[in-house]
Amino acid sequence: MKKLLDYHSEHFSLIRKIACWLSVIVLALTAFFVYVSQVEIDNATEQIYTTVAQLRLIFTCLAPVALLVIVTYAVLFFKERKEKRQLGRRKKTHIHLFDVLNTGWMAVFCVMCIFPIIYVIAGSFSQGADYAKGGIYLLPRVFTFENYKLVLSDSAFYRSYLVTIARTVIGTVTGLVFTSAVAYAMSRNNLKGKKFFYWANIVTMFFGGGLVPYFLIIQATGLYDTFWVYIIPSLYSVYNMIVISSFFRGISSELHEAAEIDGAGELYIWWKIYMPLSKPVLATVALWLAVGHWNSYFDTMLYTSSEELQTLQHFLLKAISTSTMTEGLPETMMQSVSAMTVSLAAIILSIIPVLFAFPFVRKNFQSGIMIGSLKG
Amino acid sequence: MKKQFVAQQAGARLPDQRKTRKPWTRNDWILLIMALLGLAFLAVFAYAPLYGLLLAFKVDGEYINIQHAIQYGTWAGWDQFKDFLTDPDFADIMFNTLGLNLLQLLINFPAPIIFAVLMSELLSDKFKKMVQTVTFFPHFLSWVIFGGIFLSLLDYDTGFVNTILVKLGLVSEPVDILGGEGYFWGLIICTSLLKGLGWGSIIYVAAISGVPKEQYEAAILDGANRWHKIRYVTLPAIAPTITLFFILSISGLLNNGVDHLWVFQNANNIARSEVLDTFIYKFGIPYQRYGYATAIGLMKSVVSVILLVTGNAVCKKISGKGIY
Repeated sequence: MKKLLDYHSEHFSLIRKIACWLSVIVLALTAFFVYVSQVEIDNATEQIYTTVAQLRLIFTCLAPVALLVIVTYAVLFFKERKEKRQLGRRKKTHIHLFDVLNTGWMAVFCVMCIFPIIYVIAGSFSQGADYAKGGIYLLPRVFTFENYKLVLSDSAFYRSYLVTIARTVIGTVTGLVFTSAVAYAMSRNNLKGKKFFYWANIVTMFFGGGLVPYFLIIQATGLYDTFWVYIIPSLYSVYNMIVISSFFRGISSELHEAAEIDGAGELYIWWKIYMPLSKPVLATVALWLAVGHWNSYFDTMLYTSSEELQTLQHFLLKAISTSTMTEGLPETMMQSVSAMTVSLAAIILSIIPVLFAFPFVRKNFQSGIMIGSLKG
Repeated sequence: MKKQFVAQQAGARLPDQRKTRKPWTRNDWILLIMALLGLAFLAVFAYAPLYGLLLAFKVDGEYINIQHAIQYGTWAGWDQFKDFLTDPDFADIMFNTLGLNLLQLLINFPAPIIFAVLMSELLSDKFKKMVQTVTFFPHFLSWVIFGGIFLSLLDYDTGFVNTILVKLGLVSEPVDILGGEGYFWGLIICTSLLKGLGWGSIIYVAAISGVPKEQYEAAILDGANRWHKIRYVTLPAIAPTITLFFILSISGLLNNGVDHLWVFQNANNIARSEVLDTFIYKFGIPYQRYGYATAIGLMKSVVSVILLVTGNAVCKKISGKGIY
């Protein structure tokens, strides 16, 4: 116990981070359940009400503990800061009006980026009929789980989710390996005909056949309306190749020579030496690829025709624009859900993986982008 | 005698020459195969479609199979191109394409630069990090999700924006932003700012963070204020990056993000939302006028290359730096 509160110990900041976040989550859930028990509940959701009440009880018991943890760590934080201040006094910076305005506008823009998400969350928990009256921005007035229930009972939703996850994982891994293999060859000065390869690559960046001829190739290669149409055409991209190979070129050639003297082949050097050394750039390109795969929907429209191959984003597009999900529902259900609130619930469900992945990829942004930007 | 001597000399030199040209090692072959992998991909997905450009010069609708249309179709000459140039919608489409892109060049191109500079001026590092994280987030959401969110935010009756506008008394009755053609460009600009501002600034932030601290300190010693520091230290440092992206956006003057426009386009705003890319898609895939769509695409590609070359030449002349 004492160790947890000792801010001189080396793991302190990590422990503090975990403890504080856990407490914050507990508090947030408490607030949520307390709120749910206060607010009007839609008829269809009422069976869940007892579960919610129990959860509320549990969380209201946990809340004081969480609060205590946060207060303790806050006190410790100030203690630590005071100690640090005494060691080296920080130079006081003069604050101009400009700084105030700048900070203010940044805060406003941040709110603008966050607000739509909160708005959608509020809408997704709202009763359909009540939502149509308008005025729901931060919290639902009549609470319901029905929107989520409806989305989660849709088999097309699961299928498209699965397709998207599969294409993101497979597409990112294969694309990264393929592109980096070519990038490695292009980064070596002893590649025969390097100049030819270089220009053959560059030209394609600026001149292409256009939509229809490309579509024709997709058909001719037999990729049309197969799962592989998501994977194979995005195996390679010249831009990513240039980004990766400029990073490879920055790795000292002595390393390569030493490995060569030890009898390592090019394949071994690429896979065992260059790839592990290039984690920042590979992480960045992987991020680009993954985001591209996760968010793309136009290729579903263009290159597939069967229902089973539709991606999550395409499913959402259809749900939003044509309200396919609420069609054919009985009258009694239409009180609880509406096309709009259901699609908002689907949106939230599709964002969840991105939300979870976001903190992990965030720290790779800067280091990798730096490499790609100036040389790209 | 003399001839023999020359021949002897030549013969004597030959083995030496062979020695200097090393035989191909196994590693050379491996490298070549790796590079060829990329070339093979491009041959299929970038060079082979160039053959399909022939469609632009063929008559539409003769064959259902596109392959047959290329091989056996009757030549149409420049008819498809003429058709498009005399299309009653041609003027509107070009106006929309160029107007939207120029507006984006005017607003969405400098905005991330300004944003990055402002961000570098923030005092607290923690706040800076938080701003970065939060403003990146919209980039990770797809346009479909954005479309869905804005559909509800801008709704005529219940949307947040309309309610606020009416409550503040800025408008007497709700504005049909999604359905009115007059608002479409503004909608596109605003949504791409919201989605792309943070992400677009990342490159410039990286470039700014590469500026040595001593330069700023030296500037302060010389009596520079904040504006001077931005003007004479920060901006020159990121100028190469700005030039590069400027040339690239010039060459993309005829391209619009289809997946962006597609979610906001509807029958009511079509007069201001139809651009080259959406037009090509409609005629190419759903309407199956392959030749027509190919011809328009070909024109677009050619103009893009011309723009790239000119843009690069102009930038080279002005700043002494181009992208190639």
